[in-house]
Amino acid sequence: MSAVPADPTPVTTTLTVAGRGHGPFRSLVSPGWEGFCVGIVDAPWMLGVRAPDRGRAILVVTIDGELAVAVRDAAPGGMAVVRDARPDDADAIAAACLPWPWMVVGSAVALTPALASVLRDRPVLTYWLGDPPVGLPSHARYFDRPAALLDAVRSACAGSVGGMRLAPGSGVELEDGTLLRGATLESLVAAYPRGFALPARNFRAVSDALARHNAGWSPQRGSAAEMTLVRSAARSQR
Amino acid sequence: MRANPEVLILEDDAETLDELQNHFTRKRFHPLGARSASRALSLLENNQYSSRPVLAIIDWDLGKAPDRNASSGDVLSRLARELRECPVIVYSQNIDAFNVRSQIQRSHPRALLHDKRDGDASLLERIDRMLDRTVGDLRIHDGTVVVHLPTLDQHHHREAIRLVVHHPDIVTFHSDTATKAVRRFGEWLHSHNSAVRLVSHGNRKYRLTVAASEVFAPDAEA
Repeated sequence: MSAVPADPTPVTTTLTVAGRGHGPFRSLVSPGWEGFCVGIVDAPWMLGVRAPDRGRAILVVTIDGELAVAVRDAAPGGMAVVRDARPDDADAIAAACLPWPWMVVGSAVALTPALASVLRDRPVLTYWLGDPPVGLPSHARYFDRPAALLDAVRSACAGSVGGMRLAPGSGVELEDGTLLRGATLESLVAAYPRGFALPARNFRAVSDALARHNAGWSPQRGSAAEMTLVRSAARSQR
Repeated sequence: MRANPEVLILEDDAETLDELQNHFTRKRFHPLGARSASRALSLLENNQYSSRPVLAIIDWDLGKAPDRNASSGDVLSRLARELRECPVIVYSQNIDAFNVRSQIQRSHPRALLHDKRDGDASLLERIDRMLDRTVGDLRIHDGTVVVHLPTLDQHHHREAIRLVVHHPDIVTFHSDTATKAVRRFGEWLHSHNSAVRLVSHGNRKYRLTVAASEVFAPDAEA
């Protein structure tokens, strides 16, 4: 037997929290009692920003959150929820934006593999302040000044194409007042006249939905080799 | 039976808490007052089966709280995760500091911010603007009923009040019971030829608007 004392049990956040008597093993939906200290305290994984939500989301990834505060001030109330992420929790927060973040704004951080995958495969508006990291898609937009980026955020929130406009929170309102739900259509309307360097198959469902509603627009490959909304042939008579 | 809607108030200063509670009592709401974050969490746990607050007022700085077992951020995170349909106002002396705002946003991305330096009267005024709302031809009366102004008919349900308070934002409802109540409210609006319409966003999400029908356009591979 070795005379060397064993290493002490590592002090982890989980153990620290559990040691206070209300650790992560306590169900969040179980009944509480008066005076009983409930909840997980100081647990970063319980932050509200990580809660899954299907609303329109602007994910802002920065070191300190200052840009996220500015984006929140710039975005019109009720149009989108700003999710303030740090590089270490950006993947988790991006995954909580269902089906995917409507917009990703970043500055001075590297792109995590999971986030890069979302940006590469999904029509996500991508705005970057300062030097862009490796892995951004070709349709990403870059800005030297915060003011220009914030103007672009405002413009995207006020996006309107041929009578279609973003509805508060989620969905797109057509000219006749019909509400069409779908993250891809929201991205196309907000990005117009720009588009997304993605395969056409990503936009088939939107194409079908717009044709069904005789909207007069459809996603097509534009001059910049990006899929964007283009006025289709004359509307049929209903 | 008609129960008055609850309002959660987390305020460490006893005098201010009394003032806020009295204000809500006068407006026929049932205040759930707490001087510490752990007490507020306990109130949320104790009330989760019977009711869900229609509004939460949270003091960010809890320097005078009788205990420090939890923080206002913990309460905000709980509200964001489990009571998403509850509007939240957070007030602080340091609301201008970006790091404070960032912490609040990370705890509750939808929280509304209020500057404590504007005084209690300013906060009460803002709360009244939220709760005594008129949306189209609807008005909340005494915090307990939605009145259709042309006919003066009343609809008594907390979920209807929640929708009017939230207008034009989307509200996510927590249960089938709440969703049924919302649909009944939608039918009530229709039967009264109200200018306000209920719009479904699917997944128990609704909002009030003058918009028309709703259709789902699925995303490719979503």
